[in-house]
Amino acid sequence: MNPAVHLDGITKRFPGVVANDDVDLAVERGSVHALLGENGAGKTTLMNVLYGLYQPTEGTVRLDGEPRSFDSPRDAIDAGVGMIHQHFMLVDPMTVWENVVLGNEPKSWGGLRVDREAAREAVVELSERYGFDVDPDAKIADISVGEQQRVEILKALYRGADVLIMDEPTAVLTPQEVEELYGVFDELTEQGKTIIFISHKLGEALSAADDITVLRDGVNVGTVAAADVTREELAEMMVGREVLMDPATSPQEAGERVLEVTDLSVEDDRGVEAVSDLSFELRGGEILGIAGVDGNGQSQLVEAVTGLRETASGEIRYRGESMVGKTRRDRIDRGMAFIPEDRQERGLVMSYDLTENGILGSQHDEPFARGGRLDWGAARDHAESVIEQYDVRPPDAEAEAESLSGGNQQKFIVGREFERDPELVVATHPTRGVDIGSTEFLHDRLLELRAEGKAVLLVSSKLDEVQGLSDRLAVIHEGEFTGVVDPATVTEEEIGLLMAGESLDDDSVEGAALHDAAVDGADGAEGADDASNDGIDGATGGEEGVDA
Amino acid sequence: MRNPLSPSSLLAGASESSYVRSLVVGTVGVLALLGVLGVAFPESVAGDLSRIVFSTSTGASTARLAAPIVLAGLGGIFAEKSGVINIGLEGLLIISAFVSVYAASVVGVGNAVLGVPALVVAFLAGIAASTFLAAVFAVVCIEFKADQIIAGLAVWLIALGLAPFMSTVFFGGVNTPNLGVSVGWQYSATLVVLATVGSWWLLNQTAFGKHLRAAGENPKALDTVGVSVSKVRYAGVLLSGVLSGVGGSALALSIGQFVGSGETMVQGKGFIAIVAYLFGNYNPIGTLGAGALFAGLDAMQIRLQQLGYAVPDTLVQTIPYVVVIVVLALVGRTQIPEAAGEHYETEE
Repeated sequence: MNPAVHLDGITKRFPGVVANDDVDLAVERGSVHALLGENGAGKTTLMNVLYGLYQPTEGTVRLDGEPRSFDSPRDAIDAGVGMIHQHFMLVDPMTVWENVVLGNEPKSWGGLRVDREAAREAVVELSERYGFDVDPDAKIADISVGEQQRVEILKALYRGADVLIMDEPTAVLTPQEVEELYGVFDELTEQGKTIIFISHKLGEALSAADDITVLRDGVNVGTVAAADVTREELAEMMVGREVLMDPATSPQEAGERVLEVTDLSVEDDRGVEAVSDLSFELRGGEILGIAGVDGNGQSQLVEAVTGLRETASGEIRYRGESMVGKTRRDRIDRGMAFIPEDRQERGLVMSYDLTENGILGSQHDEPFARGGRLDWGAARDHAESVIEQYDVRPPDAEAEAESLSGGNQQKFIVGREFERDPELVVATHPTRGVDIGSTEFLHDRLLELRAEGKAVLLVSSKLDEVQGLSDRLAVIHEGEFTGVVDPATVTEEEIGLLMAGESLDDDSVEGAALHDAAVDGADGAEGADDASNDGIDGATGGEEGVDA
Repeated sequence: MRNPLSPSSLLAGASESSYVRSLVVGTVGVLALLGVLGVAFPESVAGDLSRIVFSTSTGASTARLAAPIVLAGLGGIFAEKSGVINIGLEGLLIISAFVSVYAASVVGVGNAVLGVPALVVAFLAGIAASTFLAAVFAVVCIEFKADQIIAGLAVWLIALGLAPFMSTVFFGGVNTPNLGVSVGWQYSATLVVLATVGSWWLLNQTAFGKHLRAAGENPKALDTVGVSVSKVRYAGVLLSGVLSGVGGSALALSIGQFVGSGETMVQGKGFIAIVAYLFGNYNPIGTLGAGALFAGLDAMQIRLQQLGYAVPDTLVQTIPYVVVIVVLALVGRTQIPEAAGEHYETEE
């Protein structure tokens, strides 16, 4: 039987760049295929060729064995290829059914009217068939991101898609929604649909896909069955060398008290208390990780600490000095660096080039500000040094921030903030959207800062990241810490319980810790399989298992 | 299953909220109160007011004054819903007002072209002129990605200069001579009602209406399902030209003359049209109500002057603008399309 999708020797050249070099890809009908690779490996280009957005320079696209050529996405849609973009293409104030049928509305009265009954029925029928729980009359703006994704899938199915391409489908989902998405994959493949998804997350590829194709620098490094491959093998395929990261960092002498938060309460934009009576302290040479489901007060806590949001009550002391009422600039001047959650909103000015972005926050200071004017030469040198050290691509200080990929934007922000020579780094999702090679590097830099005696407040939705890097791990739920645990001994299940708002009684913590110690080392590889989040410390765990 | 023509669905489907319904109820309530007061105290100001409000001649001049406001406002909805803010409605009204009178005088009132009476020819000519100017605006904004506000101002200024100039060239003065005929208010009122119902249908019941909305809210979503955003936006802007053309022609032909001095006879009705559709929350029925309200106030003010009340007309004319500021600031319910004013380029 012919594969549902067969890309045969696809080469795609752009002026000066070979994005795909003789790539073969065969996907069986009814299977889930992951296209894995680092940022810029050519995954998206390859899928755009399949979706008709690009014409291949060489090579053929075959569907069920038939050679096809698509001049536009419209042709691809007609041939049964649907694409679900990372950023959803939905009209917020319109309803679910209106979005699903948009552009292909069933009509009545000779085209004078959209047949809403028929449209709704089609949407209801499709969502029942695939077990989606979506209200056809709900407005897109009112439903969750996971539901919006299902609406996107419905849109593709409504247009008769047999092959669904999904670009980074889990990037915007909560862990629960990711699980639901895997369930949706099962439903779809059972009914004969074929799914190809683009990812740079190892865990996701391993748990959701049947087969995995790894791309590196535009070349197909290999296609493997998910069942026959380990995380470390995949990581090595992706990066082209062995990936090592040792989160079990050397013990560090805690230094002076850098940040002290006492009974802090912060309100969100609606005036609802988002952080309630929170107290903690952070010393030099220490990384305090904060884990929790997004939206449990992390953002407000970070904003209060960095001076972007007023506190409702409580005290924030930074190196002995009260920060309440101090401006953002006061804090920057005192050596507080900040990697914001939303890099495009708060990290960069998208229409500025990297030279200009590189001095944001330091624009008042030597050597950039001299006697009332800016020294652009110094700014440029600074941007170039950040670009070089943090491997920002393209290495062009005059490139607009907008023109960089998300991962590269992130590297540039992290570089700028780390090079401030800070005493305290507040890092939210520092490696979001960054590929594993760069993630490893950024983690190393965080640990270097720690070794230099700097304090780091690390907020991340990647459990293995906070767990692997932190000296102490605080779990936040509805604005309160449900527990502060030792990341070396706590289990993922325990963190999950804390994230859900339950407390651990001391017995179970100790029991779990003992149990963990007993199997530690002997069974590191199993830990690797368990790790459902992306990142690579699972791979390291496997490494240790092998050593043992 | 809902019958799309039933009155409840007309209002419910037409407005996302009870906003328009409360507007309607409020207006009816005020009128009823005025009527009761007028009957109770016939000699008071309320008595005079109620006589004015419920007199046919006020109704007639309201219909005449409302036609350009409501029709241009409906046009503005189509343009803005598609993502192109057309603040040149005033210019479209001016150009169509002049061209319709010019066409009528060229054909000669009472004559016909190919069996089409002169006044109908005049209407069609006014519509054609306005649509042509709107097409130029559309090309500049959509094809050449000019700033919509500046291009819209240019449309206004061009018409403001061109219409009196052409009048001087053809008739020897900024005001054209009176044609000696006028189109009755009943025709204006009929056109307004038909256009309102038609617009409502187009926006809420047809696939085109959905595409229009998507083009203004998230053009990329429309593009990825294979509908051309440019085409939809061109259609939206051209419709604003057609509807403004009807409005401008109706205004001039209801008097039988084009007055080109000062701000011309259009006198800011194109801008009040923008206010009207914002006040009506992009809903044709709300726009009709708002347009009728503003025109009614203007008509009342004229009547009151005639009865000897010294109502400052300039003050009355500021009412729509004050209303829109209050509405936008306090109510904040109007929902400007997400991508209005933004250019869109397909990725290829």
